[in-house]
Amino acid sequence: MSLLRVENVDKSYGDEEVLHDVSFEMDRQDVEVIVGPSGSGKSTMLRCVNRLTEIDDGAIYLDDEEIHSIDENDLRRRVGMVFQDFNLFAHRTARGNVTLGLTEVLGLSKEEAQAKADDYLGRVGLAEQADSYPAELSGGQKQRVGIARALAMDPELILFDEPTSALDPELIGEVLEVMRDLAEGGMTMLCVTHEMGFARSAASTLTFLDEGRIVERGPPEQLFDTPEHDRTRQFLGELTDLH
Amino acid sequence: MSETEVRGSTVGEIPGRKRLVVIGVGAVFWTWLLARWAYHNTLLDRLFTALGFPDLIRSELGYRQQESWIPAAPFEAVAEAILSAESAVGPLDFLIEWAAWPFELAAFATTTEPALASGAFITVYLTILSMLFGLVIAVPLSVARVYGGPVLSGISLVYTELIRGTPLLAQLFFLYFGLPLASFFNGFAFVGEGVVPRASILVAIIGFTINSSAYQSEYIRSALQSVDAGQLTAARSVGLSKLDGIRHVVLPQGLRFAIPGWTNEFVYLIKYSSLASFITVPELFRQARNIGSDTFAFTDIYVIAALFYLALVLTTALAMSKLESAVAIPGLGSSARRD
Repeated sequence: MSLLRVENVDKSYGDEEVLHDVSFEMDRQDVEVIVGPSGSGKSTMLRCVNRLTEIDDGAIYLDDEEIHSIDENDLRRRVGMVFQDFNLFAHRTARGNVTLGLTEVLGLSKEEAQAKADDYLGRVGLAEQADSYPAELSGGQKQRVGIARALAMDPELILFDEPTSALDPELIGEVLEVMRDLAEGGMTMLCVTHEMGFARSAASTLTFLDEGRIVERGPPEQLFDTPEHDRTRQFLGELTDLH
Repeated sequence: MSETEVRGSTVGEIPGRKRLVVIGVGAVFWTWLLARWAYHNTLLDRLFTALGFPDLIRSELGYRQQESWIPAAPFEAVAEAILSAESAVGPLDFLIEWAAWPFELAAFATTTEPALASGAFITVYLTILSMLFGLVIAVPLSVARVYGGPVLSGISLVYTELIRGTPLLAQLFFLYFGLPLASFFNGFAFVGEGVVPRASILVAIIGFTINSSAYQSEYIRSALQSVDAGQLTAARSVGLSKLDGIRHVVLPQGLRFAIPGWTNEFVYLIKYSSLASFITVPELFRQARNIGSDTFAFTDIYVIAALFYLALVLTTALAMSKLESAVAIPGLGSSARRD
């Protein structure tokens, strides 16, 4: 039984069709990487899964439950999200960023939440920075706080929306390393990223999305080495050259 | 936005010795004001009478019967000494008169001490209460304006523009004479008794609360809008409801951003509170005007009243800049926000 099932999803903004008849499935512990040119609908696809964006047509199932039959806040507790721009709470420390959801959504006591937050900050290598405010952290550290914040909610699935795109090149490695650890630890991850190294080594499935349609989908080595479509070959070739 | 005007160097950043002088003068002023307040406070009178000091606090005396604490004589003596040099200088006598004037002013101020203290104290609590009650209304108003649907934000907009678009004095008159709230409050026996202010003061507090809530909500609205929207999205993505996200993520930052603008409104209200004199509230300006009518020394008493307002405004500015630094968070606020 698949953890996430996306069926014939359509989404338009006005006249512009962003997603067209998109369908795919993910099992638990899968790491799905979606690639595609900008404007291809990748981020929209992610946001439809935790209902930050609503789909026009089709259906999305989380653990066989249609997501619109799940309470919106409950769905988001079960599906974590990591953002390109980190979106850390600027007035809270690294620890405070992680504890907010724990106390307000999971109902943990302050002490429990802090212990759990420190545990997860330790896992992403930020035990020392627990008391730092976002403005005092580097981009890579901010993103790792963002990952700890999502992870601490014990989600069934985490969405990564271009988690390294806003980072300076020298800071990308530390974030990818955390993501690789998560993948190896069995976390189910749906990632939009241009990091081809990560896609090749960590992804269980690679999806190439273009103009709102899935062009090609399969194991990463297949798409990299023997793609069916010229468009896939061309796009992945360009990305691999770049990254 | 007017925030930029308030930023930069403020009273809170006066360096070294000058700072000590400012704080010293402020401490004397406030000690005096609070002592005068305590002197005719009913509850304190009861307390000290019970403790065996019946004459320490004389709440039974109106400010007209109270004696001055600061003697006029030393100031008069200095003024006279300066003026005695007059004939020696001849045509430049006016300079001597100017030099003596501050001391004459001080001597005059000491004779009006109880009335000014009583008026200043009303001005202080009128302003503080109206600002605080106004804040309680302004926060939901601004949240409704920024995050409410068309209905809620529309109601908030209409309220704000209606209040901001009509004269404060007209609002006070409407409440006092039009409704009329004054006779409504006077129907209650406890109004004007003990710690409950008289009806005119209650009407003034209501009027200023309504008025300042509209202005405060504008400051807070623009502060809320300057909080990066992605943070609310992030709060929602861990499962917080929109209202919880606003409460835990947007408001703590927005209210910090609003402090400089809020201080501006506070400082305005200290001075606008003088309009309460038109609905018979015996606050600072009305006391000064009454003293002027009694003595015909209008210029002198208005200068003295102006110095009182200045002291109140500077104290507020100082306190608010202290508050701003007390709640400051690294990287959040003035500099970070303009990035």
